[in-house]
Amino acid sequence: MIINHPTLGPRDAAEFVHLGDATLMNRPDWQAEDAVEQFHEYLYQRDNPAGDYRELWYHEQGDRSWLVVTRNTLTHEITDVQMARDVAMQQAKSS
Amino acid sequence: MAKFDLQETPRLGGYTKEFGDSGMVLREITELVLTSLAMPMGGKTKLTAAVKDTFGLTLPTALKSKLSTDGQTRLVQTQPDQYFCLTSKPVPSAMASVAYVTDQTHGWVGLDISGPNVREALERICPVDLDPSAFPVHAAARTTMEHLGVLIIRVSKDQFCLLSASSSAESFLHAVELSIKNVI
Repeated sequence: MIINHPTLGPRDAAEFVHLGDATLMNRPDWQAEDAVEQFHEYLYQRDNPAGDYRELWYHEQGDRSWLVVTRNTLTHEITDVQMARDVAMQQAKSS
Repeated sequence: MAKFDLQETPRLGGYTKEFGDSGMVLREITELVLTSLAMPMGGKTKLTAAVKDTFGLTLPTALKSKLSTDGQTRLVQTQPDQYFCLTSKPVPSAMASVAYVTDQTHGWVGLDISGPNVREALERICPVDLDPSAFPVHAAARTTMEHLGVLIIRVSKDQFCLLSASSSAESFLHAVELSIKNVI
């Protein structure tokens, strides 16, 4: 499998480490009233779609960047790759 | 107290090998000083100015290293906001006022590989595309060879600089050496 890194171009998946669902970026506020429920959701609940899935990959044997990769779980086709720092900054701006 | 007289030796004992009449040469790079420059948050303007003053260079971008006109300094971007400085002598201490400076010299081992079959030898162990159109002179990338992390830099058309962890230097040398033997 090849991941098309936004700044480094196509790279072999062997250079990457897979972490999991991209929603792990959205860590709940630990001081919220319902923090326990929120953290339960955050830690244990995952969608398991048969299709496009956003997940976090770490370019460990490369530039050590975190990526948000949109991968089709049925075909392994990768349709979108973004730097996780850019995604996080966009989210911070829009929230 | 016992008195020690310690002498610094290159990691691979200054290894140099010419592979028969193939023109392939593999050599340990012994004269290299490696320094990591990590950019503080929001410190790009200051670091850019300091790098310009000290080395006469602009900050490199991903995949493209920068070589000073005297050939003594090469800058490589190793990750967003971090640069590797390849020099022949230690980086001026003034750099510490604009970046987090870490001496990396003895954590790494350097191999210089050159010759007409250099691409054939490397393409068997390096997953990065080394075609001159994709990886021209001064291109640089971090990748793996035989599961070992490597920073690869194209020095000239048929010459590459390979940097890998000093702790696995012998294994890395073995991998590269074997790959050369397989193509000559």
